[in-house]
Amino acid sequence: MTNSANDLPQATGHRLEELEKGLFTSDLSVNEFLLIKEVGFHPVGFVMGSSIYHTGLQARKWNQSQELTKLTEAMYNARELAMTRMEEEAAQLGADGVVGVRLDVNYYEWGKDAAEFIAVGTAVKAEDGVSRLNQLGKPFTSDLSGQDFWTLRQTGYLPQGLVMGTCVYHIAHRGLGQTLGTTGQNVELPNFTQALYEARELAMTRMQDEATRLGATGIVGVRLEEKSHQWGSHTIEFLALGTAVTKTSDDVTLVKPTTIISLDN
Amino acid sequence: MPDALSDLPEAAQRRFSQGSFSSGLSVSDFAACLDMGLEPVGLVQGFCAMHWGAFSMSALGRGATPFSGTQGGYVQNYQCPHGMISSDHRSWGQNYQQGWVEDAWRTGFNSAYSRMMEEAQTLGAHGVVGVIDSENPLSDTGVVEFHLRGTAVKLMDAPAPSATPWSTFLAGQRLAKVFEAGYAPVSIITSVASVRVWSYCVTEFLIEGTGGMWSNTTGAAEIHQIVDAQNQVRDLARTRVRSSLHGDALLGAHLEVSAREFSKGDLEFQSRLSGNRVRRFKDFEPLAVPRPSVRLS
Amino acid sequence: MSTPASTPRPSLRDEVRRALSEPLTTVDAAQSMTSDLSIDEELNLHSIGWEPVELVSAVSLHSIPYGYWNWGQGEIEGASSAHATAFLNATTRLLHEAGAAGGHGVVGVHIDRAVHSTFVEVSLVGTAVRPVDRTKRLERSVFASDLSARDFTMLMIAGWEPMGLATGASFVFAPRRTMSSTLQQQSQNVELTNFTEAMYSAREAAMQRMQEMAIDMRGTGVVDVKVHEGPMSFASHAVGFVAIGTVVRLASPTHQMINPTMVVSLNDATVAFDAQTLS
Repeated sequence: MTNSANDLPQATGHRLEELEKGLFTSDLSVNEFLLIKEVGFHPVGFVMGSSIYHTGLQARKWNQSQELTKLTEAMYNARELAMTRMEEEAAQLGADGVVGVRLDVNYYEWGKDAAEFIAVGTAVKAEDGVSRLNQLGKPFTSDLSGQDFWTLRQTGYLPQGLVMGTCVYHIAHRGLGQTLGTTGQNVELPNFTQALYEARELAMTRMQDEATRLGATGIVGVRLEEKSHQWGSHTIEFLALGTAVTKTSDDVTLVKPTTIISLDN
Repeated sequence: MPDALSDLPEAAQRRFSQGSFSSGLSVSDFAACLDMGLEPVGLVQGFCAMHWGAFSMSALGRGATPFSGTQGGYVQNYQCPHGMISSDHRSWGQNYQQGWVEDAWRTGFNSAYSRMMEEAQTLGAHGVVGVIDSENPLSDTGVVEFHLRGTAVKLMDAPAPSATPWSTFLAGQRLAKVFEAGYAPVSIITSVASVRVWSYCVTEFLIEGTGGMWSNTTGAAEIHQIVDAQNQVRDLARTRVRSSLHGDALLGAHLEVSAREFSKGDLEFQSRLSGNRVRRFKDFEPLAVPRPSVRLS
Repeated sequence: MSTPASTPRPSLRDEVRRALSEPLTTVDAAQSMTSDLSIDEELNLHSIGWEPVELVSAVSLHSIPYGYWNWGQGEIEGASSAHATAFLNATTRLLHEAGAAGGHGVVGVHIDRAVHSTFVEVSLVGTAVRPVDRTKRLERSVFASDLSARDFTMLMIAGWEPMGLATGASFVFAPRRTMSSTLQQQSQNVELTNFTEAMYSAREAAMQRMQEMAIDMRGTGVVDVKVHEGPMSFASHAVGFVAIGTVVRLASPTHQMINPTMVVSLNDATVAFDAQTLS
């Protein structure tokens, strides 16, 4: 299935060759395209990576709320594979990074046991020829829009990579049923609260660990997504996503923004 | 001034004589009107219920000679290339413009429109802004109700209007920009075209996917009859609108096409083109190139 | 968004009064302009010396022979080629209409595509545009683009020009379900490599076809690419990938920086309207 040099399927060969010869493709809007040019980057090509991964859940009723570690690993590995392939396409194009990364999960005819994880974005290259690869020597990734990328560059920071932390947590059936016996009263559900707290913390911590490994000084645009995918309502994946950034030594001219009152409605 | 021969319902006349004020404008549209020197004087509307559908091809049945359509209207015939076959092989087909549907539509719309404009004239208005037009089918028996409404406005400190009021779908800041750009509103325009399709064998086979059996090629081809009908129905509406513009421009046009299938192979396409007829009152003066900005939230 | 001109402009009220009081100038009946652009978009075009000419539209339907969606493997070529042909025919017709009306291109094209089991339908509506200065001849072929008039304006200001719409489609059979039975026995952490390969090639084929169209148009890039993908509503074992974008190339020797200003809006919620201020 794979190319000899890297993990990409053979099918990608021709498309990337055309991009290397000078044609660029990008899923950036015109506004985003103009803004990345403003900060000295040029789009190189639309890049994507995907992986079809088994995500089935063995149906068992657990008495305690707990993390389903095997599933967490599966969700993480699947996205990592997709992201890695996308980064490889970017590397093959000689890009410095990928902006506007989107991570999607698709379910198809093969049912609930498996899903396709896709990572897409637009690979970009700095026009001054100075390498902007991240601390691991790889193209940076970020889910920042063109506008956010421009704004970040005004402050002298550069993205290092899209970082994520995930945790698939199972909320105990029995526990939930018992606590429901107290409905009608204004009471916190301690087990439930505790479970969700722990799950979110795990996801956020893992995301931060990734940022540390990249040598980043901070994470911007953090968001937390919670999905049950195909597992029923007692099992939830908590996914924390953000873009790890570091301050660069590039010269920065901090501009004072103009304040306006819009007269349009 | 209420006209003794007016066809407005009594309720409308009472509403206006009381001197009360109602307006369909939003807050910002209202403020924009005042900025333009236009004073809203009341909500005006017009209704008309039309019935049609008595004329249809089914009365003639299949096997009859091809219909010649409305005088001068679009007609296109399609002949079966296969030679003979059975009685349920559609050996001929036809696209034709349904002039009676278009006429009935036009009558209904124009009646509703002129009633709305009459109400505006009663109020002494110079124009009507923010027009909303809707058509609602009232039942399955082919009755459609046309309803137009808008806000009548008077130009402040100006003599009483001597002509039919002007009208526009636009209101608020958008209307203000139209004036600033050098255009004066004339009237709203809406036009409908209707084309009926009686499929012939080739169309039927391509749509059903059995074209391969009956054609010499692999069976994949453009479905000419439907393509002709779809393109024609749009062209007809656009041509009619263009001819009623008399050199003016149509701004903010909206083209919508709907399709209906009465029975297998019996289709109807209807297109509706609406927009604002405007005329230049001053020479073209382009504005400066816009200044781009990035907004920090 | 526009800056005021340097000479003092008449007030809005005066303009409206003039518009509605003057006897309207007679016009050349052959010059009727129709456009589905908003007034803002028209003003954007005017600021770079372009104007709308005519609302244009085109439709094409192309059949897919029977049996193509039945179980199979790999690409469903009949569907992919029907999509490509329908799109090409519709675009050709649209450009022809635009050219006949004197347009140099069509902007804001609204693309309506539908893939049915027996045919593909593509319907396009947009506004043909041209430079106001009629002495500017059309140096190359008419272009179509789904970029809004506003995006077209920004691109032109930056020194780029649109060449046309590029699209690439591929329809494939999703790998078969029989695989799933073997999944039950397997542990969870595993990639399904055959499946991955099939979907990869379909996506790549669609993107590549789009790129090839771009190269044919002598463009140097494709912007605002949209990828639509998903199973067919009438055959869930078949998946379609369609990529559409606008082909561009540099018209001026280099890219022109636009130098945007950073703004912070001080708007809160809209001001409440006080009915008592009306007399």
